Amino acid sequence: MNNNINVPGAHELARPRTRRDFFKTLAVAGAGATAASALFAGKASAKTDDVDIANFALTLEYLEADFYARALDAGVLSGDALGVVQNLESHESQHVDALVGLLDSVGATPVEKPTFTFPADAFSSEGSILDLAATFEPVGVGAYLGAAPLISSPDILAAAGSIAGVEGEHVVAINWLLGVVPYANEAFPKALTLDEVSAAVAPFMGGEMLSTGGPKLSAAEAYRLAHV
Amino acid sequence: MSGVESRVPIGLDRETSRRNFLKTAAWTGAALSAMGIGGFGVAVRRAEAEGEYKTYEGLGDAAIVAFAYQLELLEGTFYAEGVKAGIFKDAFLAQIVAIRDHEMAHADALATTLGQLGEEVPATPQFTFPGGTFGDAATFLELAATFEPVGIGAYQGAAPALKSKDILAAAISIHNAECQHRCAINILNLINPPNDLAFEVALPLQKVQAAVKPFGITG
Repeated sequence: MNNNINVPGAHELARPRTRRDFFKTLAVAGAGATAASALFAGKASAKTDDVDIANFALTLEYLEADFYARALDAGVLSGDALGVVQNLESHESQHVDALVGLLDSVGATPVEKPTFTFPADAFSSEGSILDLAATFEPVGVGAYLGAAPLISSPDILAAAGSIAGVEGEHVVAINWLLGVVPYANEAFPKALTLDEVSAAVAPFMGGEMLSTGGPKLSAAEAYRLAHV
Repeated sequence: MSGVESRVPIGLDRETSRRNFLKTAAWTGAALSAMGIGGFGVAVRRAEAEGEYKTYEGLGDAAIVAFAYQLELLEGTFYAEGVKAGIFKDAFLAQIVAIRDHEMAHADALATTLGQLGEEVPATPQFTFPGGTFGDAATFLELAATFEPVGIGAYQGAAPALKSKDILAAAISIHNAECQHRCAINILNLINPPNDLAFEVALPLQKVQAAVKPFGITG
């Protein structure tokens, strides 16, 4: 076996580099996009940023929890897969509760649970459920890893780290069910930008961009922000 | 992998029984079993920091990275010895090899970071493992199951205390790899379902230090 691993330096792992990069998609999304306008108005407080990120994470957790609840309802899982997915659903639901609790505790308003849409055959078999799960979980990991350096509050960062690690475990459990060996196979799990996360989950959001719970931008504002 | 063995001296502690040795890390089990309780209130409490990061404040980024580097060397050495012992095959061997490579890649990345900070890379400690650690797969995996939560707890505890956002990004990625290792070790330990935690557990500095001291990290 070789030990030929591409070892990135800390500076290479640090992406997105700025809050502005991370939320860029929200600005360029144009009409119909929702965003936290405070982010782009030059007056965002640290707390506002953290609230946006927490609401962004909450949306992802709602998506995952909804997906696994429907997977269990479908009644096509058994054996190892059933046990793993029961835990997945439980964990994501607890993450939802925790993020709602965190947002409540700082006096912020948690986003409402969106209405999600899934492909027609998403829940038709164990294989289709696990394939979709295998695409969700790395997105969850990447979203938390991308957002973490942008979080101001150490308490919220600690919570994000706690949850991010569990999403990483989910990747491994699903690899196991899918027969991927080795199960844990990333030395440096990858951070994603919001662009990348949004692209990955947009099909399940009815085409809507992720909401961070902020006021909606008008089409004119979005256009201006995208081009200034 | 000759680099691992050549640069890392290790010893086996024949005097200390494995049971006593593992007892040192018993708090890990206690911390984990405390996580078994679900419910809204617990979930919120778990997700909220309990201030573990405060125990890392004041160390400074370089000292945190240097400590993490030693932890990674300890883990990398442990897994390298596990591979060499010939106690694993097939999927089990593939996973232990992968974890070994990950830990050594983490150590290399942290050493690079120390260089970028203009800091010296710490000397490799003389590691000590309890007698019998590498004698059979079950004993090895039992110890692996105590190592991973220590690494997880250290990174998770230290992350909010890091000043550099670049180093934080690296630390949180490595933390995630350690969490993935924890789940993989669960699989090898035939824990089913292996994804048995809703929230990873941060550890204060003193508990991490106490956990790794018997293995030769005294920093």
